[in-house]
Amino acid sequence: MNALLSGRVLVGAALILFVSLCAMFAPLLASHDPGEQDLLNILLPPAWSSGGDAAFPLGTDSLGRDQFARLLYGARLALLVAVTAACGAAVLGTVLAHIAGYFGGFLDWLIGRAVEVWMSFPPVILSLILMVGLGTGADRVVLAIVLVDWTRFCRVLRAEVLVTTQRDYVTAARLSGFTHLQTLIREILPATLPLLITLLSLEMGIAVIVEAILSFVGLGVAADQVAWGQMIADARSNFALAPWTLLLPMAAIFFTVTGFNLLGDGLRRTLDVRQTIARSA
Amino acid sequence: MIAILFLLARRLLTALPILLTVSILMFVALRLLPVDPAAMSMPPNATNEDIAAKRREMGLDKPLTTQYAIWLRGALHGDFGRSIQLRRDAGHLVTAALPATIQLALCAMVIASVLGLGGGLLLFHLRGGASEALGDLGTTVLLSVPEFLWALLFILLFGVLLPVLPFIGQLGPQFSVVRVTGFLLIDTLLAGQGSAFASALAHLTLPAAALGIAFSPAIMRVLRSGLLDVYHEDYIRQARLRGIGEGRILIVHALPNAILPTLTLMGVQFGFLFGGTLLVEVLYSYPGLGNLMVDAVRNADLPLIQTVGLTYCIVVLLIGMTVDALVLVLNPRLRAR
Amino acid sequence: MTPAASRRGFLAMTAATLAAPSLVRAADDAVTIAWPSDVPGWDPNQRFTPDAQSLFKAVFDQPLDQAPDLKLVPHLVTRWELSADGLSMPIDLRDDVVFHNGERMTADDFRFTFFERIKSTPGLDIANSWRKVQDIEVLSPTKAVMRFSSPAPTAPVWLAFLGSYLVPKGYVEQVGAQAFAQKPIGTGPYRLVEWEVNGRIVLERNDKYWGPRPAIRRVTVQIIKDPSARVAAVQSGQVDIAINLPVREAVRLQGEPKLAAELDPITRIILLQVRNDLGFEDANVRLAAHHAIDKAALSRAFYNNAAVPLSQLATPGTPGYMDDFSVRFDPELAKQLLAKSGFGPDKPVKIGFATTNGQFPSDYDLARAIAQMWKRVGIEADIQVIEYPKYFELNRGHKLPEATLYSFDNATGDPEIFVGYMLNPKLPFSPWQDMTIGQKVIDLFNVADTAKRYAGWQAIDREAMEIGAKIPLLQSVLTLARQKNLAVTKYANGWVLPQTMRWT
Repeated sequence: MNALLSGRVLVGAALILFVSLCAMFAPLLASHDPGEQDLLNILLPPAWSSGGDAAFPLGTDSLGRDQFARLLYGARLALLVAVTAACGAAVLGTVLAHIAGYFGGFLDWLIGRAVEVWMSFPPVILSLILMVGLGTGADRVVLAIVLVDWTRFCRVLRAEVLVTTQRDYVTAARLSGFTHLQTLIREILPATLPLLITLLSLEMGIAVIVEAILSFVGLGVAADQVAWGQMIADARSNFALAPWTLLLPMAAIFFTVTGFNLLGDGLRRTLDVRQTIARSA
Repeated sequence: MIAILFLLARRLLTALPILLTVSILMFVALRLLPVDPAAMSMPPNATNEDIAAKRREMGLDKPLTTQYAIWLRGALHGDFGRSIQLRRDAGHLVTAALPATIQLALCAMVIASVLGLGGGLLLFHLRGGASEALGDLGTTVLLSVPEFLWALLFILLFGVLLPVLPFIGQLGPQFSVVRVTGFLLIDTLLAGQGSAFASALAHLTLPAAALGIAFSPAIMRVLRSGLLDVYHEDYIRQARLRGIGEGRILIVHALPNAILPTLTLMGVQFGFLFGGTLLVEVLYSYPGLGNLMVDAVRNADLPLIQTVGLTYCIVVLLIGMTVDALVLVLNPRLRAR
Repeated sequence: MTPAASRRGFLAMTAATLAAPSLVRAADDAVTIAWPSDVPGWDPNQRFTPDAQSLFKAVFDQPLDQAPDLKLVPHLVTRWELSADGLSMPIDLRDDVVFHNGERMTADDFRFTFFERIKSTPGLDIANSWRKVQDIEVLSPTKAVMRFSSPAPTAPVWLAFLGSYLVPKGYVEQVGAQAFAQKPIGTGPYRLVEWEVNGRIVLERNDKYWGPRPAIRRVTVQIIKDPSARVAAVQSGQVDIAINLPVREAVRLQGEPKLAAELDPITRIILLQVRNDLGFEDANVRLAAHHAIDKAALSRAFYNNAAVPLSQLATPGTPGYMDDFSVRFDPELAKQLLAKSGFGPDKPVKIGFATTNGQFPSDYDLARAIAQMWKRVGIEADIQVIEYPKYFELNRGHKLPEATLYSFDNATGDPEIFVGYMLNPKLPFSPWQDMTIGQKVIDLFNVADTAKRYAGWQAIDREAMEIGAKIPLLQSVLTLARQKNLAVTKYANGWVLPQTMRWT
């Protein structure tokens, strides 16, 4: 248990905890509604710089909306998407990986081919095409990420399942009368869990980025939802005039993704899973 | 040599059904969209009869399987249909835009490799020391900055605050270059226009750097762990016992072996990087596939989305094949078999 | 400078001192323009794209031209006379005009462009503008008579409007429409020498041009879709002139020592297209929606006060404009109107609201600000973003929501092309399908007498406002930034023509 508390895990968890607290207590921390416009106070700089207004701690955007409130509420959406999308992709990918690795044969072949077809698409392109069909909205973003990124889990976990299936205790479990389902859940899944947790943490970071990208190109969340990618897209037309409107959401994305990556990285080391999980965004 | 040909042939055989499946999936998905390509391709004042006629002309009244068969027959003859928005042959649009994107991706890969290999060696050098943790942290942080954040940052830093590099398009406005290959870096040299070459290179720098930096940390890590693995092998110890210098061991014995997993990873990374060009192209107004794709997506230009999407797939599959062949060429153990 | 902008002095100053041109201009007779969108192909008759008109005007000529104040002036056509019944129009053409390939331009080319081609080539947008043309009689190489099936009072105006460019009969018939759209031949002051789709357009001066010789020899049009990239491009000296910049950025660039930035009102109206059914069936709701919008605040917030608030379907200075008419901003009245129909802030009426994002400066911001203003009086709008080309498809299927943010361009300023086009239920622009006002519009299209026409359009405009059939918002502004020593003629309709540019 001690090993779990490596520096990396601690720092990563602290970052995520911080972002989560911001998200959770957003209504208490923010003095403004994130959608509330104030056309008289457009593009105010942060409160501490000259011309800033204490009512808007981090300044306002091009519609006079409070940046601080938008960052906090943006964290809500980012975390919501990160957690649900990563879990969704994990469930789909893990189930298919276990089926492929455990049963082998035709099912393995079929799932393997599906992964190959999916992998022949750069993820950004695939999610873009999916969003065209799905339309905008946070739920669609989650669905698109699940449909694109399940392969990340499936590919890596399948190999792990394959190895575990050949272990003696699995054979023993089968001989002692376990059904396939029981064997999978009680014997194989626990063995792949460390890898799964690591992947899950990394995937959350990826999901934050993908959500930002999709919102940025205007194919992400709906117009009235507050998202960091949307903030970046809004800020771009003013970046020379009000660079903080661009830098703040960029920093928020960076810290959240760093948090998930540190956590995932630390877990990978401490849980001693294979080191070959490549980054891909 | 025969092994390589054999491998390529096998990869080609698996690639074809993949492409076919991809094209079917994309075709079906795009046809399910609530947009009418016929109506979209008509002027605003078209009557419903005009549109019905257009729909028949485009074969949209036929069952989906027939539509696909028509499309496939066209595609096999190099006819990918016409872009609705641009009213031009989709295949031509893609072939005109593809070299720019490939050029960007290759330059980015060069930057990623240089940074990745340099960084990997540095990380390996730091092993065991106090700064190892720092280096590790550095790569994790680098991994957390996606290419589009780098791209935005570079525009802000080197385009606006310190305007030293161009960040729009792929060539200075004062140059005109005859397109032979479509690759500007090559065409400018073929035409002997040194200053145009310099301009093209300057235009590539920021977008390629943004992409390259984003993809370098993964390479650093794999190279480092590859080197760590190799240094556990007996032959390194034996080399040391024979009194061979550390530098020589690294270059002659360790690197060639550690480079293989790195190369495989770079193949995978190149696929992702190729997708990453999309956003970078949009941010840098770079006339490649990515801009074509985003426009097509925004205008629901189905034939163009289909063609560009398929092109991305083909390139990714080709990259995979090339890397496999390269690994085979470089790997003495596999080659001997 | 707004006070808010001067507060942000630091960055502006840094940027100004560092913004030395990173590229030296190649020659004093060359210019680089940052343009927001590519041409949809080089067939100028094919698609009505307002942004492309300035580029088409460099390569092609129109039969008539407009002066900077929009007055019609002779061009390829030197004399035109619409008959009293509006059914025929004899024209005289210049005899000294040659196409870029050396062929002489004659009345046959005129007949081809405005009659033969429309009949033989499906899918040309100008077919709609010239649907009344029954025949064009060619009397001699320089004389022809246009004959119309019903009175065509706006025919002269249309000869200088969207898509009406003379194309070469011989060349088009020889190479076909497709090849023509790739390698166009016109009579204009510039020849197209390079076209990289979505990349750039290079034009070279046509030294055999019949008209005044342009000062600039080589024009490079850089297609830069991203507005902030256009700002950066002109600021860093990568381009000499850029249009359609974000308004606040244009204001900021006014402080740059080497640049001149302008915000010019043009003949383009930003309005809300509304339906006459669904959530907007009730006139009270539509009028409340109009009274609830603080147009002055919108102009101040997003257009630096340069966009004139509008309450009618005409821009100031055009023949249809009524000085004595306005619809005031009055949220209390809006609440009362809504209360009459049983709605209020606690029981809002729910409507859909479509907007483009990036079609014109600040469009998306505008939509979101309006939604907020509506919310205060009791109208809850669900914003959806659509692409401009989708507007017509949605409208054809009657699938547009209750309100749509729209910008209507009318380079001619003629009230028929404002009021008539925007309200005619038979044309593709309006989701307003009610025939009580629609029939009046259709009838007025056939009136030839100018004074009667103008009065008629004003009456219809007024009526449309009183029933809330449209919600005009602002007169659009053209934002432009250029190197200070580059002069360009300012047109009231927003044209930015390379042939009028010169270095000073």
